[in-house]
Amino acid sequence: MCAGSDYGNPFLTMQPILKVNLTSGETTDYIIPIEWERDYLGGASLAARLLYTDLTQSLDPLAPESPLLFLNGPLSGTSGPTVGRFVVCGKSPATRLWAESNCGGFWGTELRFCGYDGIWITGKAEKPIYLWINEGRLEIREAAAVWGKDTYESQSIIKGEIGIPGAHVLTIGPAGENGVLFAGLYCDHGRAAGRTGLGAIAGSKNLKAIAVKGTKKIPLSRPELYAPLRSIANHALREDNLSHVFHELGTASVVDYADYLGAMPKKYFHSGIFEGAGKVSGSTMAETILAGVSACHACVIACGRVVRLYDGDKRKGPEYETIVSFGPNLLNDDLAAITRLGEICDRYGMDTISAGGTIGLAFHLFEKKVITEKDTGGLFLRWGDVKVVEQLLQLTAHCEGIGEFLAQGARRFGQHFGSEDEAVQVNGLEVAYHDPRAFSGMALVYATSPRGACHNQSEYFEVDMGQADSSIGLKFYDRQAGAEKSANVARHQDWTTVFNALVMCIFANIPAETVTELVNAACGLDWDVDDLIRSGERAWNLKRAINNRLGLTQVNDKLPKALLEPYKDGGSAGYVPPIAEMLAVYYKVRGWDPITGRPSREKLQTLGLEDVATDIWG
Amino acid sequence: MSTIFPSLEWLEALSRKLNSDAKYAQIARNWEGDMCVVIEPGGPLLEKQLYYLDLWHGQCRRTEILKDLPSIRPKFVLSATYDNISHIMKGELDPMQAMMTRKLQVKGSMAYMMRNVPTVLDFVRCAREVTTEILS
Repeated sequence: MCAGSDYGNPFLTMQPILKVNLTSGETTDYIIPIEWERDYLGGASLAARLLYTDLTQSLDPLAPESPLLFLNGPLSGTSGPTVGRFVVCGKSPATRLWAESNCGGFWGTELRFCGYDGIWITGKAEKPIYLWINEGRLEIREAAAVWGKDTYESQSIIKGEIGIPGAHVLTIGPAGENGVLFAGLYCDHGRAAGRTGLGAIAGSKNLKAIAVKGTKKIPLSRPELYAPLRSIANHALREDNLSHVFHELGTASVVDYADYLGAMPKKYFHSGIFEGAGKVSGSTMAETILAGVSACHACVIACGRVVRLYDGDKRKGPEYETIVSFGPNLLNDDLAAITRLGEICDRYGMDTISAGGTIGLAFHLFEKKVITEKDTGGLFLRWGDVKVVEQLLQLTAHCEGIGEFLAQGARRFGQHFGSEDEAVQVNGLEVAYHDPRAFSGMALVYATSPRGACHNQSEYFEVDMGQADSSIGLKFYDRQAGAEKSANVARHQDWTTVFNALVMCIFANIPAETVTELVNAACGLDWDVDDLIRSGERAWNLKRAINNRLGLTQVNDKLPKALLEPYKDGGSAGYVPPIAEMLAVYYKVRGWDPITGRPSREKLQTLGLEDVATDIWG
Repeated sequence: MSTIFPSLEWLEALSRKLNSDAKYAQIARNWEGDMCVVIEPGGPLLEKQLYYLDLWHGQCRRTEILKDLPSIRPKFVLSATYDNISHIMKGELDPMQAMMTRKLQVKGSMAYMMRNVPTVLDFVRCAREVTTEILS
């Protein structure tokens, strides 16, 4: 199969999607309808439109007919600011709701160079296989040699088999093969599409990996405009403080400040202080084990860490979420151990937020004597014991012993032991490490995110820290303000949805006008900032409608018990977000029906989603 | 007597405050580094102001109003518009937020700055407490 260079798309820029049925081996080039490309741009937004009818309540996410869609955005792979990302979408086996997870590195860029902007997988191969797309030509290869291998080994072996320099490999690890519900897909030194269990879907299809290599030119509608704009944007990004901070200290730069504000969860969200927090910060990493930095395609920030441990080898250093997950969350202040635990997850192909979150629940329940050594196979779960954590990760990846239950994530682990309400999760996705008791905006973000308790659907904690960009209509409210910030949160979610459509890294702290001009130049549009945000709002509501179709109602919009109990100490002591009041205003702002939790017919029609309005309202 | 920010009197008052405040002395006991605060003109401030402070182990060893930066190489140079720095002085903008959100530009080690969040915040507390009036 070979992608054509002229596919009748005079204005917008997305290339065809390669559809592959692994059961039949049939392949087709899918041309994206131009009106959908215009309305949704690309990435997760476009994926939601493409998958809308396929994602039904009765669909088993791990069944052959379950779709798995890899998609770029219209800026992906260009030399624009932080646009070396792609997204993977489907129905989550963990949440049984909308699933999306985007990933950096170079794989998505290389796919664009092949003349494709997406790969749409259905069916199930008879035996383990990997896909090899070379300049748009697809080859389905046996994966027996890499099945059971970790993600690092698999990438190396497949690259060796291919024998073409510059190929990039996206792969699952043993966790995806074994059906761990928070298994992800990995490429380029531990870059991960980690959340919502999409690696388990790949594993259920016997799809081990996808290798790509291409040299085709990426289409741009107005390249003569795009080139100077991306130079301006990259220059602005280089000069930005946040970029400097992330370059110098990684995303873990915020550890010290987050700890000061009481925003960094400790002891599975049950303690406001942890004296060892300073030992695991980005500053400490920079002063001790840091050996270099790494960047995704064309990124001028380079937030990735390269560290050197006692064995002398250079390896990926942990980012903020991994540091908190295996550090303060488990009362561990050993930065080298955190690095090792993060690498174990990357190699097995498991999301570090969910892995640490689920293990944190196990420690919490062990302390409460809900589970005992009988349940853990003799392991004594003592806070801070990293050897036990390492054993639990191995058991989880192989679904052995207590790992069989850990592999199902916090909600199901809690259910199994009669303590679902102790699990710090929303709709089956473990809460990321930005505490809504310090940043109240995150309460709404977690409660209403289309994929569960996710921080990448709106990193509103940055707004609560003061990054209230007036050019997108944001105002600044106190970090512990209440319902008055609900409209702000909705607006920021819409803006972040644009980023997830492009697919642009959320660390790109560049003016909204510049983002809009880049989109206009790339796609041949003539939009203003409000048009762009409206595109985000459309996709946000579409994802909501998908989840409504999958059974989600207003009852699902809630926070777990632990986040509604105030800390006794630390920088956010004594406060809990008024989530009920915030939600009530949020529903009004969104135009959502408070009884069913669905976007109103009028709202959907206003956004041009008449077919969706008819579908969910009749 | 009123201490108007920004002014030489204000800088001297801040120096006295830093050298007499027990809380600051305790929190900043490990701080080692001089800094220059550059206030870009705007609003009522007609000319750029450069305030130098040599801060060492909870004490302020020297202050000076500079004419330009090349005359000295401080460990940190903090730059902001008059508007933004006024917001910080009035307590309307958290200084760490300002650093993280490009409202207060930092030249120097961000690692050191991030590691010493309490010192930064207490320094600003002292600066606010000696300010009785902000130029308007």
